[in-house]
Amino acid sequence: MEPEVNNVSKEGEVEVNVALVGAGSMGRVHADAYRHLQDAQLVAVVDSDVQRGQAFADGWGVAWYPSLRACLATKAVDVVDICTPTAFHPALALEAFSAGLHVICEKPIALTVEEAMRMIDAARRAGVHFYVAHVVRFFPEYEEARRQIQSGRLGQVGTARLLRGGAAPQGWQGWYADPALSGTVITDLMIHDFDFLAWTLGPVGRVFAKGARRHGAAVEHAFVSLRMQNGAMALVEGTWAYPEGFRTAFEFAGTLGVLQYASDGDASLKIVRRSSPSDPLVTHVESPIDVNPYQRELQHFLACMRGAEAPRVKPEDALYALRVSLAAWESLRRGEPVEVTT
Amino acid sequence: MNPIQVGILGVAHMHAVTYAALLGEMSGVQLAVIADEDEVRGRELAARFNSRWEKDYQTALSFPLDAVIVASENSRHREMAMAALEARLPVLCEKPLATRVEDAEAMVAESERRGVVLATAFPMRHSLPIRRLYDYLQTGALGRIVALNGTNRGQNPGGWFIRPELSGGGAVLDHTVHVIDLMRWYTGSEVVEVYAEIGTMHRECPVDDMGLLMLEFENGVVAAHDPSWSRPRQAFPTWGDVTLEVLGTEGVAWVDAFGQRLLAFDETIGKMQYVPWGDNADHGMLQDFLRVVREGGTPAATGKDGLEAVRVALAAYESARAQKPVRLSYNR
Repeated sequence: MEPEVNNVSKEGEVEVNVALVGAGSMGRVHADAYRHLQDAQLVAVVDSDVQRGQAFADGWGVAWYPSLRACLATKAVDVVDICTPTAFHPALALEAFSAGLHVICEKPIALTVEEAMRMIDAARRAGVHFYVAHVVRFFPEYEEARRQIQSGRLGQVGTARLLRGGAAPQGWQGWYADPALSGTVITDLMIHDFDFLAWTLGPVGRVFAKGARRHGAAVEHAFVSLRMQNGAMALVEGTWAYPEGFRTAFEFAGTLGVLQYASDGDASLKIVRRSSPSDPLVTHVESPIDVNPYQRELQHFLACMRGAEAPRVKPEDALYALRVSLAAWESLRRGEPVEVTT
Repeated sequence: MNPIQVGILGVAHMHAVTYAALLGEMSGVQLAVIADEDEVRGRELAARFNSRWEKDYQTALSFPLDAVIVASENSRHREMAMAALEARLPVLCEKPLATRVEDAEAMVAESERRGVVLATAFPMRHSLPIRRLYDYLQTGALGRIVALNGTNRGQNPGGWFIRPELSGGGAVLDHTVHVIDLMRWYTGSEVVEVYAEIGTMHRECPVDDMGLLMLEFENGVVAAHDPSWSRPRQAFPTWGDVTLEVLGTEGVAWVDAFGQRLLAFDETIGKMQYVPWGDNADHGMLQDFLRVVREGGTPAATGKDGLEAVRVALAAYESARAQKPVRLSYNR
C-alpha cells in the first residue's frame, strides 16, 4: 500500500513538507493555500529562474532551489507540488515518483496521452499518491450544480452549455500561448469543463471543434461540441480572446428543469468609492468565500494522503479530460467529429 | 391614400394573431381577409380583428388585395406564396420559408421572375438591440468578426409544429433560421460548413427538440448555435430567447434581443416571469413590409434570406444523420 507520511505536527496531525515547483501565478495560489493549511508546510520552491525563484522564496520564507534534483538532495520533502508549464509536468512527476514522493500536479496532467499514462504507471509502481488539480471540482457553484443534476432535479439532461474565459493569461515567456508548452485554450482552459462534464454527465461519445484566431496562428477562441454517451449534448466555449476579465457560465437543461449560473451575476458585494470628484473611481466587486477552492482542493489531497478521504479526482480522470481535449484538437485539424477513446 | 389591403393566408402559426393585432393598430392598412381551413378559428379571428373569413385561400386571393402574409403550416408556405406571387401580390412569408430547399428556391425564383416582392418574416432584423449591434459592427470598432455564438431557445410548441409532414422538422428547423439570418447579416457572408448534433429530449415528441450547430462561414468566421426547445413550460420565466455573442479582433459584444424586461413575482401563478418592455420587433417588420408594398424597394429580409437560412437548417439535419460536417456550395 501507499506509505503514510509520519511527521506529526503539534496538533497531532500528520504534517507534510511540500516542495513547490514553478514560482509562477499558480505557484503563488498554491503557496497561499498552504499557509492556511494546518497539516502541510511549504518548505522549498524550485524554479530555474534565479531571480524569480529567489524572490518567491524570500516572499514565502522558504528555501529556493534551481532544480528539483538539488532540492531533493538537501531538503526533507514528502510532497512535490508541480505548478510549472504543462510540458514540464511529466519529467518532474517522474523524478518525484522515482524518489518515492507524492505528487500534486496542476492540470492538465500532461500534453500527451503517452506521458500521462507513464506518470500514472510510475506513481502506481512507486506506491505513492498522485493528484491532478482539477480545481473546478472544488468550486462550490460547480459542486452544487453537480449535486443538483445528480439529485434528478433537472430530470434527464438534454443540453448543456459551458463558458470559460477572458483575457489571455500572462505567464512565463508567454507559455500559455505556445501549443508546445500549454496546449493553449483547448487543452489548458477548456479541460476544466471537459472534466466537469465527464464527472457530472458521464463519458463523452464524440467531439467536434471549431477554433477562431484573431491575429496570429494560435487558436484563441474555441467551440467544442460534445455528444455524451448518455445522449446529452454540450457546447463548451473557451476563450482567451476577450479584451478583459475572466468569467465562467453554465446551463444544464433537462426534462424537468433548467439550471443556470454566470459568474458575472454572482458578485454579492460591490463597493464604489471616490473621495473627491478629481479622484479616480474605485470599484470593488467580490463574491467572497470562506475557504477558496484551491485551499479546499489541497486540503482534500492532503486528507487523501492521510487516508481520511477518498480521492475526488483520480489521475485517470485527468487523463480522460486530456483525451477529450486532444480529440477536440484532432477534430479541429481533420474537420471531422472524433470519438473519445479510453 | 387608400389603405393597403392585406390578406392573411393561414393562421396556423401563432404569429398570425400577433400580425393581425399589430395591423389593426396601424393606420393606412386594412386586414381585408383571413383565409384558414379551420372555420371556428378563422371566424373567431376575423370577428376579433374586424375582418372577413374565407375557407379557401384561392378565394381570398380574389379579394382586391395589395399584399399577403402567409402564416400557414410550414409545408404549405410554398403553394400559398406561389399563388399570391402569381396574383402579383407582395408576400411576407412566415419562417421557415419552406420545408425543402427546392420549395424555397422555387418561391424565390417565382418572385424574381415576376418582379414581385417576397419577404421572409425575420423580425429579429428589426429588434433594436440587434440593429444597434449591427450598426456598431458597421463602424468597424469591433474589428473583423472572428466568432459568433447564438441561442434561440424556446418551448416545444406542440400541435402541428411536432408533425413533421407539416412542420418539416422540429426545434432545429424552427429555431435555427432566425439566428442564421442574423449571423449572415452581421458577417455579410454565407455558411459553407454545417455540423450538428440533433436529438429529442422528450421521447413522446416525434420531431427533434434539441440541437447544437457548429458553423463555418465563407469568410472564415466560426460559429455555434443552440436552437433547442429546452425551456421548461411551467417553471421558466419566459418563452425563450434570442442571444448572440460577437467576437471581433478588437473586442466582444453580447446582445440579448429580449433583455429589456421587468421581473414579475406573481403569487397567483407561483413563479417569476419576465415582462418585456422593449420595442416590438414584429411592428418594425410589418412597417418595413408595408413600406415596400407602398413604395417599392427591398425588405430587410428577402425571400433569398429565407432560402439561405432554410438551406443551413436542413444541412444540419443532413449532418446529424451522416455524423459529419456538410459542405454547402453556392452558384454565383
